[in-house]
Amino acid sequence: MPNDRPPSTAERAAAALREQERAKRRRQFLIVGGVVAVLLLIGGLTAFAIGRGDSTGKAVDASGTPANTDGYSVVVGDADAPLTMKFYEDPQCPICQQFEAAVGEQVQTAIADGKVQVAYHIVSFLDDASKNEYSSRAANALYVVADAAGPDVFAKYHSLLYENQPAEGTAGPDDDQLIAWAVEAGADEDAVRPGIAGKVYAQFVTNATDQMSKDGVNGTPGVFIDGEMQPDPGTAVNAVLQAIQ
Amino acid sequence: MKGGVQEWFGTLARLLVGGVWLVAGAIKVPNGAESVRAVRAYRILPEAIVPTVGHVLPAVEIVVGLALIVGVLTRVMAIVSALLFVAFIIGISSAWSRGLQIDCGCFGGGGFDADATAKYPWEIARDVGLLLLSLWLVWKPRTRFALDSLLFRRPTPAPERSDHAERPTTVHG
Repeated sequence: MPNDRPPSTAERAAAALREQERAKRRRQFLIVGGVVAVLLLIGGLTAFAIGRGDSTGKAVDASGTPANTDGYSVVVGDADAPLTMKFYEDPQCPICQQFEAAVGEQVQTAIADGKVQVAYHIVSFLDDASKNEYSSRAANALYVVADAAGPDVFAKYHSLLYENQPAEGTAGPDDDQLIAWAVEAGADEDAVRPGIAGKVYAQFVTNATDQMSKDGVNGTPGVFIDGEMQPDPGTAVNAVLQAIQ
Repeated sequence: MKGGVQEWFGTLARLLVGGVWLVAGAIKVPNGAESVRAVRAYRILPEAIVPTVGHVLPAVEIVVGLALIVGVLTRVMAIVSALLFVAFIIGISSAWSRGLQIDCGCFGGGGFDADATAKYPWEIARDVGLLLLSLWLVWKPRTRFALDSLLFRRPTPAPERSDHAERPTTVHG
C-alpha cells in the first residue's frame, strides 16, 4: 500500500533494529564460518599427517622384495607335503615365542620328514614394545637371511631368534648380534650384513603386516592348518601338535 | 537441576568427553597403519574405504575433542560426538555378537585380544556413558567457560531496546 508520509520515529527505530539484527546475523555467520574453517584446517592437516606417516602399500621393487618368498611369506618344507600350515609371527611377540617353544622343534622335525610345509609370514607391529625397534629389525633380518641363504637357513635363524627373544620394553639385540646369529644359522656374513644393517626390506615388512590384517589375522601368532584359521594360540598349539604327530 | 548447576555440569561433560576424544585421537597419530588395521579388524567396512577411515577417524576425534574442550560450536560437536559413540557401540556390539576377539582399538592398539569377550561389556558401558554426556550437551549446549559464550554473546543489550521500539509500532498497525 503506498504511503507518502515520512517514516515515523517508531518506523525508523524498527528499521534500525532490523539493520542491527542483520548485522548481528552477518557477524555470527562469519564467526561460525571462521570457526568451521579453523576446525577443518586442523582436522585436514592431522588426517594428512597420519596418511603421510603410513607408508603401507607403497610398492616395493625387485630390490625391495626378498628372494625365496611367496607372497609375504617364506615357505619351508617339501612342496608335496600332505599338510600345509601358515604361521603369522612378529619376532618381538611373546606369545609367538611361547608358541614356538611349544611346537617349534616338532614342526621342524615334521618339515624334515616331509610331513608338512610351513609358510612363515613374518610381520612387525611391536616396535613400540622395544627400545630399539627390534621387531622390525629382526623381521627384516629374517627376510634378508631367506633371500641370501634360502628357506632352510631361514628356519634355523627363525628358531635362534625365538630362543633369544628380548623381553618386551627392553633394548633387543643389535644388528651385529642379528648378523652373528645369521652366520650361526648358516648364512654368509658378507651376504647378509648390508641387508640387515641397511634394513632393505623395511617396506616389504610393512606391507606384509598390512597383508596379515587383510588375511583376517588380528594378532600373532596367527595359525592356519590346511587353510583353517585357529581361533586362539592355545588351540593352535594343540591343533598343530595333533596334525603332525 | 537449576540453570547455573546445569551449566557447570555441562562444562564438566564437555571437558570429560572432549578430553577422551582428544587423547583417543592423539594416540593414533604416530601410527596410521595400526589405526587402519584396527578398523579392518571389525570386518564391517568395505576394504576400499578402510585405509581412509583409519587415517581420518583419529583426525575427527581430535577436532571434536578440541572443540568440546574449548567449548566452540558445542551443540554441533556434541551431535557429531554422539553419532560417533553410537557407531562405536554398534561396532563393538557387532564384533562381540560375531564372536570376534579384538581389542576395540579405541585408544590405539587393536587386533587380537584373548580377553576381548570380558572387556566388551565395559567398553560398551563406557561408550554409553559418554554418549549420554554428549546427548546432554546437545540438549543443553550452554555451559560455563565456553568459547561459544564469548563468540555468540547472549544476552545482548539489544532485546531491551527492541521492547521500546516494538510497542509503538504495534499501536500503528
